Amino acid sequence: MIAVSTLVFFMLRLVPGDPIAAMLADAGSDEARAALTKKFGFDQPVIIQYFKWIWNLLQGDLGTSLYGSNQKVTSILAEALPRTLSLAFLSFFIAIAIAFPAGIISAVKKNTTADHTVSIFAFLGLSMPDFWLAILLIIVFAANLQWLPAIGYAPLSSGFWEWLRHLILPSIAIGTGFSAIIARMLRSSLLGELKSDYMRTAAAKGLSDTSMVVVHALPNAMLPVITVLGIAIALLFSGAVVVENVFSIKGLGRVLIQGILNRDYPVVQGTVLLISAFFVFANLIVDLLYAVIDPRVRYD
Amino acid sequence: MENNKLIKKAQNELKEAYDFDHRDPLFGLTTEEISGERLSRRTTLRLLAAGGALTLANILPGLRPSAAMAGGHGGGELKCAWSGVGEIVTLDPAKINQVLQFQITSNVLSGLMHIDNSLVAQGDLAESWTVSSDGLSYTIKLREGVTFHNGDNFNADDVLFTYNRSKDPEQSIHSRVIANVNELQKLNDYEVKFTLKKPQASFLTKALERASGRAMTIVSRGALESMGEAQYGLTPVGTGPYKVIEHKQGGSVVLERFAEYYDSGRPKLDKITITPVDGAEPLAAALEAGDVQYVGGNPIPSQLIDRFKSNPDLRVDIKPGPGFQSIWLNPWRDYMRVENFDKPLEELKKEKGFQVRLAIAKALDRDLFIKQAKFGNGYPAHGSINPAMGFYFDETLADTSEQAYDPEGARELLAQAGYPGGKGFPEIKLQTTPNTKRDGLVVANILKQVLGINVVVDPKDFTVGIEEFDTMDYDLRLGGSGGDYDPDDGLVDWMQTTSKFNGRKRDKSKYPFGFYSEAESDAAADAQSLVADPKERRELVRKANRITSDKVTCGFLYHPVDVLVHHKSIQVPDEARIPGLHELDRISLT
Repeated sequence: MIAVSTLVFFMLRLVPGDPIAAMLADAGSDEARAALTKKFGFDQPVIIQYFKWIWNLLQGDLGTSLYGSNQKVTSILAEALPRTLSLAFLSFFIAIAIAFPAGIISAVKKNTTADHTVSIFAFLGLSMPDFWLAILLIIVFAANLQWLPAIGYAPLSSGFWEWLRHLILPSIAIGTGFSAIIARMLRSSLLGELKSDYMRTAAAKGLSDTSMVVVHALPNAMLPVITVLGIAIALLFSGAVVVENVFSIKGLGRVLIQGILNRDYPVVQGTVLLISAFFVFANLIVDLLYAVIDPRVRYD
Repeated sequence: MENNKLIKKAQNELKEAYDFDHRDPLFGLTTEEISGERLSRRTTLRLLAAGGALTLANILPGLRPSAAMAGGHGGGELKCAWSGVGEIVTLDPAKINQVLQFQITSNVLSGLMHIDNSLVAQGDLAESWTVSSDGLSYTIKLREGVTFHNGDNFNADDVLFTYNRSKDPEQSIHSRVIANVNELQKLNDYEVKFTLKKPQASFLTKALERASGRAMTIVSRGALESMGEAQYGLTPVGTGPYKVIEHKQGGSVVLERFAEYYDSGRPKLDKITITPVDGAEPLAAALEAGDVQYVGGNPIPSQLIDRFKSNPDLRVDIKPGPGFQSIWLNPWRDYMRVENFDKPLEELKKEKGFQVRLAIAKALDRDLFIKQAKFGNGYPAHGSINPAMGFYFDETLADTSEQAYDPEGARELLAQAGYPGGKGFPEIKLQTTPNTKRDGLVVANILKQVLGINVVVDPKDFTVGIEEFDTMDYDLRLGGSGGDYDPDDGLVDWMQTTSKFNGRKRDKSKYPFGFYSEAESDAAADAQSLVADPKERRELVRKANRITSDKVTCGFLYHPVDVLVHHKSIQVPDEARIPGLHELDRISLT
């Protein structure tokens, strides 16, 4: 985390573009420019700025946005996080809901029509850009059928159905791509398990196909899938920027992109730190799950 | 016939507006005419003219009868999309730097004055005022019984607070708007007196105006102190017809009718939700799906206009817009080097660098550009003075300018410069923003077809691009100006040696000037800014415009249009249609 924070801090300042210019556009005078440069400490050496930021960070202060009304970075992230969590949760759920049945069917019914159909949809899902799918969904379900809203986000407090209505389309757009990856990984892993000796033993013992696959083969096939799931969750938490933009949902991804475009250093630094924390946490969960799923894995 | 009558009336009004002795500190008006509770249309036109802000675009709408208000009724909810923006970053007038932001705050916060669509300048929080005979003192009686949205009473202390905040460049980026104010005194709880350093025609009509002025858009000191600046920027508390009831960073702004607004006839709607929508297709889908019924914010993407026009449920209103967009050419690149624009034009035309410059400008097929890049929505530009400026606009320039489209002439010039058919001409970059990349591709294609030169489009986001523009680190750049209602906006801000955008961060030891420097046009632009006689001003404006066009300050490309789109169920009277603004308190549902 220290390395990430240091890297982000200095790399941002290497990127061309002036945050004061972004703030003022063409509105400010040279006086305003000078006053803002001093106010935000840009007139000080970069190393001094860095140590000030680290000192504040250690006290839990991620700083203040340079842009607009100078919101605290923590409050900006606190606003964006529920949106990203909602989107991530629902996208993940959709991805799993599609991927698991598809992956299992594809593995069990290898080289049949079902397998080929699943494979075709998986490749489509992998090759279709999520923003393109998002726009397609908007055109069909929002503009033409008018079943679902085209833009915006409704918090859970506005009602479960309102919340769900606003998130279905973006979640499908994001989840479809991930479901393809997870389905292919699951198929591949399950195929390996289905060929194992213990599966022949299970069949010889008279176990049903369902029991063999779900109770015996699937848990053993999950280890590589868990890794992919962990990466997927981490990526989802970092925010699907383009889809968020298409649906006008300000999640972490959009916060990050707007911050970069505006050269809003504190916002970018804070967001990257939060996202990297998610990645670390996701990796930890994956490691712990290994031990749960496979008792042979133990950590000293 | 009807249009002819309107135009004749407009011409008479223009003539009358400019008919005064420029030495008069009250601009040909009496203290009685310039003081009072409202300024008549005639007086407002005079002040706008004297301040250099009068345009045909302002005059014409007020001459037409207003759309029938009887069709609309009070109440109801309106959902708006604010186009081309990812979030409404701030609504604090001291920090606002985008038109789309003060489109919202002009409905939430009040100024001391407000100019309506009919060009009647009315008191907003000012009930009446008197102006001294030397034009330096403005004594303003404030409206009593006005409350802020949080229940606080409005009085002179809030005016003083706003003034003190706005004049501090650390707190406000608009301090220069009130730079001419020497002092603001509180005479009593409902009376203040501004003393100016010198007479200023635009003081009532701009500096104190609630929307465009910003510096004197009245903020609630109580709310600022209790909420803090950060929260105030999200949910400002004002005295306007609507109050902000909800706005989280990145989310929608929700406005609710303020029942205690001082004008009991407004607003008409109960609730308005404004959602930022970035992207053409999401905007179109939201409007077509009925998620939103009205579009404000940044200009609507050109490719959507025909689609909206063909939708029977939508209404599209198009007017000439202020501003211009150009191809800026770096005179310090070897192949188009011009070190001295002061030479007579015929002499300049013998220099290889200028020949390349002029060739590029002549090669710009503006009609084709507007058709392909703007889907037919725009006006060809040959100078910084746009059609919305009316009186100052020179219709003859399109045919007589050295920059007029002439592909044969362009090819000949390039050949004279040593690059026949573009052979040997280096590949150059055309810097654009990500949003104008398409426009850049059309320009690059036109230059390839006409001149045979290779132009690579190089999209860069604004903060990077502006840095390169300011330091003269570019070949060509696509960009320009918006919101230009006065010749000063184009000529002074862009066309002069000392213009704020003219290579302001360049290395002066390497580049004596930025993209352009010419003494005669500088002098004409300076003089037009000071002269009050309208005919004299027009001559100077046209002179400066002609020189900057002929000597290719830049390759002028097009003037934009102002487009309003809304659902047919929304009643938008003409009086709500002020260029660049959205008077949401006058809008109703049918």
